[in-house]
Amino acid sequence: MNNKLSRNLYMIPYAIWILLFVIAPILLVVYYSFIDTQGNFSFVNYEKFFSSVYLKMTLSSFWYAFLITLISLIIAYPTAYLLTKTKHKQLWLLLIIVPSWINLLLKAYAFIGIFGTYGVANSFLEVVGIGTQQLLFTDFSFIFVSVYIFIPFMILPIFNALDNVNPTLLDAANDLGASKWTTFRRVIFPITLDGVKSGIQITFIPALSLFMLTRLIAGNRVITLGTAIEQHFLVTQDWGMGATIAVFLIIAMFIIMFITGHRKRGA
Amino acid sequence: MSNTIIQFKNVTKQYDSDPTVLNDVSFEIEKGKFYTLLGPSGCGKTTILRLIAGFTEATTGEIYFNDKRINQVPANKRQVNTVFQDYALFPHLNVFENVAFGLRIKKMKKTDIEAKVKEALSFVNLSGYEAREIKEMSGGQRQRVAIARAIVNEPEVILLDEPLSALDLKLRYQMQYELRDLQKRLGITFIFVTHDQEEALAMSDEIFVINKGKIQQSGTPNDIYDEPINRFVADFIGESNIVKGTMTRDYLVEFVGKRFECVDMGMNTNEPVEIVIRPEDLEITSFDEGMLQVNVHSQLFRGVHYEITGIDQDGNEWLVHSTKKANVGDNIGLKFAPEAIHVMRFNETEEDFDKRLDSYTEGDANEQ
Repeated sequence: MNNKLSRNLYMIPYAIWILLFVIAPILLVVYYSFIDTQGNFSFVNYEKFFSSVYLKMTLSSFWYAFLITLISLIIAYPTAYLLTKTKHKQLWLLLIIVPSWINLLLKAYAFIGIFGTYGVANSFLEVVGIGTQQLLFTDFSFIFVSVYIFIPFMILPIFNALDNVNPTLLDAANDLGASKWTTFRRVIFPITLDGVKSGIQITFIPALSLFMLTRLIAGNRVITLGTAIEQHFLVTQDWGMGATIAVFLIIAMFIIMFITGHRKRGA
Repeated sequence: MSNTIIQFKNVTKQYDSDPTVLNDVSFEIEKGKFYTLLGPSGCGKTTILRLIAGFTEATTGEIYFNDKRINQVPANKRQVNTVFQDYALFPHLNVFENVAFGLRIKKMKKTDIEAKVKEALSFVNLSGYEAREIKEMSGGQRQRVAIARAIVNEPEVILLDEPLSALDLKLRYQMQYELRDLQKRLGITFIFVTHDQEEALAMSDEIFVINKGKIQQSGTPNDIYDEPINRFVADFIGESNIVKGTMTRDYLVEFVGKRFECVDMGMNTNEPVEIVIRPEDLEITSFDEGMLQVNVHSQLFRGVHYEITGIDQDGNEWLVHSTKKANVGDNIGLKFAPEAIHVMRFNETEEDFDKRLDSYTEGDANEQ
């Protein structure tokens, strides 16, 4: 009885947190999404969302998030794999993780310097003979910087998954006639799939709502759902529309969580 | 020669500049027998297994499989399959897919795979478990899946790396019978690695006792138990009383200050030797009738027998397995037959040792 009471007491901070910072904001967002600019209850925001402007924006958000996630994965998986093979793997991992501790804005400003017309990247292109290019405010720079920012988050879960693979499983696959590639395809990758899924979750969802980088690096040429939310709340003051977009973002997150969730393995 | 399937010729394995793991090891493995590599941990027995499987390469020396040199053949191209100590079952696949893994890689037809997997699973008494997940299986069942996964590929040799060490005692005994039975039914070569001497004695046709990267002695379980070549083997296989002695002349040996009749011969006069007497060969009698007199120091009831330790006048400890009870503190006598005395020469090679033992049997034949 006493035990049960104390367990309930421990639940209080968690319950308060969830209530104040998860449930209440979601309810507020949902509430505002039904309020038009005049402050009346209406479905006008939802109608607007299904107009071509917003659908295109949604599509391009998903497209960029998809590209960012895919490129991060393509770079992160082999990197994590090589890291697990190195002697001081924890040290190498740390070196990759450390940049993620630096504020995102600082890194974005650093890249403005690097990619700017007189930046390091263009000086290099000049030396090589290609000549100065418009790097900043392009799709390329946006995706490059986003991938750079998300890669540590992609590497970490994949590294952990790879590091936990029992090495005798590789011997066993080898023993049963599998070549190195077959072992990777049939054993290593399926076993580390959960790590890959976590990496995708942790990259794709934030990438959907990126907004700082779209302005600083992509120069507002890329407008994602995140940018649109920010504009509606801070510039056009159309909180209702901003909330509506947020509702769809939340739904998208749940769908992605569901798809990449840990399901029962097996045949 | 045609009966030999695996041959090691002067194989040495060394990592960097560490001491050798295997030191100039040579042996032959025949088809269709149950072999056991027995030794303490770190003796090199698992290294031998990994060399046969192809997970590691010999530093020097040759390994032959069916008279073909296989030093450079990768593991996935070898006709051997391994049952691993931790089973190494694929956690993302169910029982059926685990067993089918090797067959799928060989691109076998679907119907053939199904038939073969079913057969292999019924061989290990796991019919009906095809759709189970590995994590739903108990330790003993996982063990069987691992064995099925190995035998389904129909290898000529199966390597077993301490596969029973993770099981509880009852299950271990049961699996010992089953493995032995399975080997007989399949008629293929099993090479079994263990540090458990009881397991080795119970299951093997032939045992290789290994220590410090060298094969100390090879032979049938009976040979090795009854005629250990040196102190290590005597001590490692079963329990034994080992004392220093002198070979006074043929058939007469002196130890603990007394002379005893024995069945050993062919050594130098007054050659220093070591004497082994197994605890079950010592029989308790009255103090006066005993060939040795000891004071009972401790007694443990082991179920089948009492384990009694006694100390003689010289301070040597004698371990006795007896169905008769003794009282701690009593002075008792111990007697034994001349055949119970095993004489071991120092630094005798296995070749010389075998020759010496052979000469006894010839001698016996001449007498008759």
